[in-house]
Amino acid sequence: MAIELSAVRYRYAGASKTALGSVDLSVEPGRVLGIVGANESGKSTLCLVAGGLAPRAIGGRLEGSVRIDGADTAAMRSHELAQRCGLLFQNAAAQLSGTTGTVYEEVAFGPCNLGLAVADVIERVWWALGTVGVEDLAPRDPARLSGGQAQLVALASVLALRPRYLILDEPTSELDPAGTALVADALARVARETGAGILLVEHKTDVLARIADDVAVLADGSVALAGPAAEVLADPRLAGFGVEPPARVRLEREVRASGLEWSAALAEAIE
Amino acid sequence: MSQASVAAGRGLPEYVTRRPGGFYRSVNPSTKLAIAALEVVAAFAVPGWPVPIAILAVVVATAVAARRLRGLVVVALAASPIIGSILLVNLFLLPGASDPIVRLGPLAPTWSGLWFGLQTVLRLFAFSAAITLVYLTTAIDDLLADLARRGLGRRAVFVVGAAVQMVPRTVERAAEIVDAQRARGLDTEGRFWRRARGVLPLAAPVVFGALTEVEERTMALEARAFSAPGRQTRLRVPVDGAMDRALRWAAIVALVAVVGLRIVGKLG
Amino acid sequence: MTAKHSAEPKLPAPAAPLDPPAPSIQFEAVSFAYPDGTQALVDVSLRIAPGESVAIVGQNGSGKSTLVRHLNGLLRPTSGRVLLDGLDVRGVHVARLAERVGLAFQNPDRQLFAGRVSAEIAFGPRNLGVRGAALDERVSRALDAVGLSAEAASNPYDLGYSRRKLLALASVLAMRTPVLVLDEPTTGQDARGVARVRAVVAAAVGEGRTVVAISHDMRFVAECFRRVVVMGAGRVVLDGAPEVVFAEDAWPALRATYLEPPLPAVAGARLGLGATPTQAVFVAALRRASTKSR
Repeated sequence: MAIELSAVRYRYAGASKTALGSVDLSVEPGRVLGIVGANESGKSTLCLVAGGLAPRAIGGRLEGSVRIDGADTAAMRSHELAQRCGLLFQNAAAQLSGTTGTVYEEVAFGPCNLGLAVADVIERVWWALGTVGVEDLAPRDPARLSGGQAQLVALASVLALRPRYLILDEPTSELDPAGTALVADALARVARETGAGILLVEHKTDVLARIADDVAVLADGSVALAGPAAEVLADPRLAGFGVEPPARVRLEREVRASGLEWSAALAEAIE
Repeated sequence: MSQASVAAGRGLPEYVTRRPGGFYRSVNPSTKLAIAALEVVAAFAVPGWPVPIAILAVVVATAVAARRLRGLVVVALAASPIIGSILLVNLFLLPGASDPIVRLGPLAPTWSGLWFGLQTVLRLFAFSAAITLVYLTTAIDDLLADLARRGLGRRAVFVVGAAVQMVPRTVERAAEIVDAQRARGLDTEGRFWRRARGVLPLAAPVVFGALTEVEERTMALEARAFSAPGRQTRLRVPVDGAMDRALRWAAIVALVAVVGLRIVGKLG
Repeated sequence: MTAKHSAEPKLPAPAAPLDPPAPSIQFEAVSFAYPDGTQALVDVSLRIAPGESVAIVGQNGSGKSTLVRHLNGLLRPTSGRVLLDGLDVRGVHVARLAERVGLAFQNPDRQLFAGRVSAEIAFGPRNLGVRGAALDERVSRALDAVGLSAEAASNPYDLGYSRRKLLALASVLAMRTPVLVLDEPTTGQDARGVARVRAVVAAAVGEGRTVVAISHDMRFVAECFRRVVVMGAGRVVLDGAPEVVFAEDAWPALRATYLEPPLPAVAGARLGLGATPTQAVFVAALRRASTKSR
């Protein structure tokens, strides 16, 4: 039970070089997989491929297989895909349908599209709002939310379809520290309480240090490093891949590099 | 008891089920559309002064009763340059007119031109007022809900909603773009011909931004199961009472009658 | 005590003193309310000396963007005055102020319109009257500064978002304004992009330009700027060097605006090392403490 990418290669329509070259990756339920890498290393492409939108929605050539819980994404209809795997992007405002007057109706948009009974819609909306922690936003106008709030509402509206997996492409990049913390905490809670498997592309390695179980490094379209989050984020090769290690890792490294002793007191001070 | 279960037990929250209130605002959206359609067609199909004047009077009176007169005035002012120029065109250039008011060199405004121009202006104001009134007294989600209930497919409903939303969003985006280009020295406060150079730096980002957003929004829609088969569940059910239905049918019948009479040539 | 900055790449010395020299900037009791009534700035008084490097931080909605848009006249105070070199900028057109204050926006897609990167960068200086060989030189130096020299003939939309952001930055750099204002220059950038931005800031400061940046990245702020202005609800909440603003007694005020001090500051406070806003300062303080204890 996982999202499994096997020997995946992908080339955008009309592009001369492959965007992804032989990627093997899996997203397990209940676990958060962080993806890091330099810009244009293939992270966004990975999200589109893993979420089944490439080549379906944007064309291009895909080799290898992408399976969600054993089923090939290419064979699924897009609404079936939406119920298995939710996708979220950087720009929260572009993800809101723009046709609803309240956050409640925005989150209900997905379940209503599925034609569920009103009672089921109501239940799903409150569940999604509650899991993300934004029940008090329900009466608000989606167009008038802050960036962090909009991102949380987008998350809730995707969750309302009860996907087993979530794929997020730099959801916190436009957010301030408070908004970032809100989204990060919401994701950790979703993984814990719903057992959803999460693939999270992030530049902010501090966020991944806090909520990711595993981390994979993408470089030039393939996986250069992968393993448990704590290990990968402390790997000295990270900077070579254009990734800034978390603040804790950098501080410890700097202290050791200047010949000073790394004591338990120091380790505690940076917790 | 958690808020969620309380809410589920209660059903839909009131901010979803609330009906619009106020004179004319509480009328069914499709009825308002039908009435506006009748007003628009009659304003142009029926020759003579009385009908356009009457339509304009009815629309203005409705706007006053619905407390939306100010919005109507704003739109009228915004439209007046265009409408005013149509008056001028008719005044000076009406074909076949031979009763000049005065000769100003090569220009000769004519009485027939003035007469016809004023009538056209009146019709145009009646037309824009009728449409604006619907816009001012109808919330977009009520309109969409009503159209959806009458069987308009979910894609068409979305397109209408998105098109309406696009206007304020594009205006906002355009304002940001203007600021960004002004910050790079584009002159928007100086002499006109310098400002004319700014069209591409202002228009291009608006277009590109709209296009890139289309792709993202399409993917976001698909991620919310927009293409699922079957009927969409409706949460918002707009009111459609006996009076609404009666008015709507009366408007449609009158509209057909006007068009029919006009075609047959019985309107004079 | 001067803040130490972590090692930045070595830059060539500036060719000549800045011409025109950077102006002094003064906000005198500036308040600003948007047409819909939102009060975005409340009685802000600030002075920025020529050549200062200032970071403006605060939660979204605290007034940061509103504040910097007063620097180039995009917004005018509803009360109070903004002065450049002692002169009220009230009557001056934005296009004229753009000669002295360059503002790089957060979202590059709000400005890109040209079919080629080089044309996009040339737009700003061209508006300021620069032509011919001088224009070409400015464009190529700006491209160099952001690492996009190889893309001079590319279409801006063929570049990824983070490189488009660097392009937008370059297009403002090419204007060679004595005051450089950057709105969230590091969001969306990977490590290399952030390093580029830091180099650009350092170069500008080295040339004597006034640099003002809005940022959420507390590390970037602590390491690259000599002064930090913290905004909350339209007011200035804290104003001082990083070691003052990120010191432990300032934390309650900082947290009230939903900001956290950078990790070295927190670690330093916990270990009783004094104010250590940056990694380099922390390590130095640690070394002093450990030699003392010998």
